[in-house]
Formats: sequence, structure tokens, C-alpha cells
Amino acid sequence: MIEAFLSSPFFGLTLTCGAWCAGLWVQKKTGLILCNPLLVSTVLIILLLVSLKIPYESYALGGDLLVLMQTPVTVMLALNVYQQRRLLGEYFLPVVAGCLAGSLASIASVLLLSWLMGLDGVITASLLPKSVTTAIAIAISESRGGIPGLTVTAVLIAGVTGAMFAPLFARLFHITDPVAEGTAIGACSHGLGTAKAMEIGKIQAAMSSIAICVCGIITSVLALFM
Amino acid sequence: MNITGQLAILFGVCLAAQCIAALLPVAFPASVIGMLLLLGLLLLRGVRERHIDRVCGFLSDNMSFFFVAPCVGLLEHTDALLDCLVPFFVIAVVTTPIVYFATAWTIQLIMALRRKKGGKS
Repeated sequence: MIEAFLSSPFFGLTLTCGAWCAGLWVQKKTGLILCNPLLVSTVLIILLLVSLKIPYESYALGGDLLVLMQTPVTVMLALNVYQQRRLLGEYFLPVVAGCLAGSLASIASVLLLSWLMGLDGVITASLLPKSVTTAIAIAISESRGGIPGLTVTAVLIAGVTGAMFAPLFARLFHITDPVAEGTAIGACSHGLGTAKAMEIGKIQAAMSSIAICVCGIITSVLALFM
Repeated sequence: MNITGQLAILFGVCLAAQCIAALLPVAFPASVIGMLLLLGLLLLRGVRERHIDRVCGFLSDNMSFFFVAPCVGLLEHTDALLDCLVPFFVIAVVTTPIVYFATAWTIQLIMALRRKKGGKS
């Protein structure tokens, strides 16, 4: 009975869906950025697997079916860029130049700090795409020999940091232009930052969502030369 | 278009992207190729917004859900993470304001130059 339960792909699928619903509930109740559904559901599943000594392979039978959806989830971001095409056309040069500068700064700072702290190549490759949205970050990480789980963790840390401190960064660095502010939020903290940008203003939110896709494309190209 | 038709278009773009990625001499993410392919199709009106809006809306609203499994995959790499937990955390946090600064100041400088140029003419 237990064996049939754990060897079914529906075990991983049910657990993921259930934990996700719990994560949504926790975020709704607390409203905290730190309590985002991805983090809460991951912690819940790991705690359950570890405490009940359930092998990861049993979870992965169903969990890996969801991993298959990573490509469509990234591909559909094209619709977002298409819907914002007029705004992107209006600010094309500053946005592309800004995203290029941000992506270069991200890669250069990760490489420099990883080298100074003596991290190995696999960990560095996992950290390299930490500023771009999870879907693209995983693809870049895998193509450079990184570990997807570590990459998602780094992406989450960057997202939470950016979402929490975006207004402070704007004051600290004297950023007064809403286009610059929105694009910078999307460039450093992707979707989680965009949620914060929505609270700040409409232009900031739109520019932040454009920056997610532009930075993803630029970082993918830059990673080819790493 | 019904939801299965919309899924067929999205999966078809993913399939084409994976074939293109396999033909490339360098390791470039198929998902990014697919994104560019779909954007090209939308701009050239080969695919209309209404052909993919429902399925994209669902995926967009629940995007993070599809990353739960890779996050749980960390269980397989706890040793690797614990070995470098502090530098890993420090790098992920410290580089975030650096990216913000580089992006925002580049845009702000270009916008200021544009305004200056516009004011002179």
C-alpha cells in the first residue's frame, strides 16, 4: 500500500499542489514578501519528505512532470513583451542599455565575488543568472553546468532583497526617473520586484515587467561567453 | 481559440525552439529561443494575441508554481549548499543593489542626455 502510494507520480503532483495552496494561504494571511508561496511550499515539502524519511526520488516521479512546464512558462513571457511593445519602443535605447549594464554588472560582480570567496565552478554557474527570472535562470544555469535548485534559491534571495529594499535603493542612489526605477527593479529582482513596483507606480510596474524579459535575453547571450 | 488549441500553439513553439537549440553549435537555452520565436510570430501576426491569451494568462498567474519541484531538488544538493552557505547568501544579496545601481544610473544618464539634446534643438 505504502509502496504503491510512493511509487505513483500522483504523490509528487498532489503534494506540490497541496503545498502550493498552503503557501498561497500563508501569503494571503501574512502579506509578507518572505512568505511567498514558492518559499513556503518548498519548505513544507522538504520538511515533510525529511521528517517522514520519504526518498526524494518518490517525490521527483511527479515533481519532474511539472519541471517539463518550465519551457512553456518562459516562452509565454513573449506575450508580456508584445503587450508592452509601445512602451518598449518609446524607451528602447535607455532600457536596452540599462539592462545590458545591469546584466554585465550582475555577471561581473558574481564572478568577482565567487573568485574572491573561493567558490567552485558549479556554485558560480548556479549563481550567475541569479538576477533574471526563474524560468530563464534555470535554463542558463543548466547550460553552464549549474544546479537548478541552487539557482532558484539565489533567484529567490535576489528577488526578496530587491522587493524589500527597492524604495531604499532609489533614495540611496538618487533615482528620480520612474523609467529608470522600474527597469532597475525588474533587472535586479525580476517578478518579486515587479510586485513591489506595482505598489510604487504604473510606469515602474510596466518597465519592471519589460526588464525581466530584456535582461533574460541579454544574460542568456552574455552567458555564452562565460 | 479553445484551451487545447492554445496549448498546441505554445507546445509547438517549444518544440521548434528545442529543435533550433539542438542545431546550434553553442549551449543556448531553448526556452529563450522559444520566447524570441513567439515574439517574432506575434509581431509578424503569424500568431494573434487571442490565440494564446488564456493559456498564457494561466501560466503567468501561476508561474512560480512550476518552480516548486526544482526548489525541492535542493534536497539532493544540501551538502553543496551547506559547504558554501554564507558566501552564497552574501553574493546573492550584495550583488542585487549593484545591479540596481548600474541599470538605473545608465538609464537616468541616457534620459538626461536625451532631454539635454531635445532642449537644445
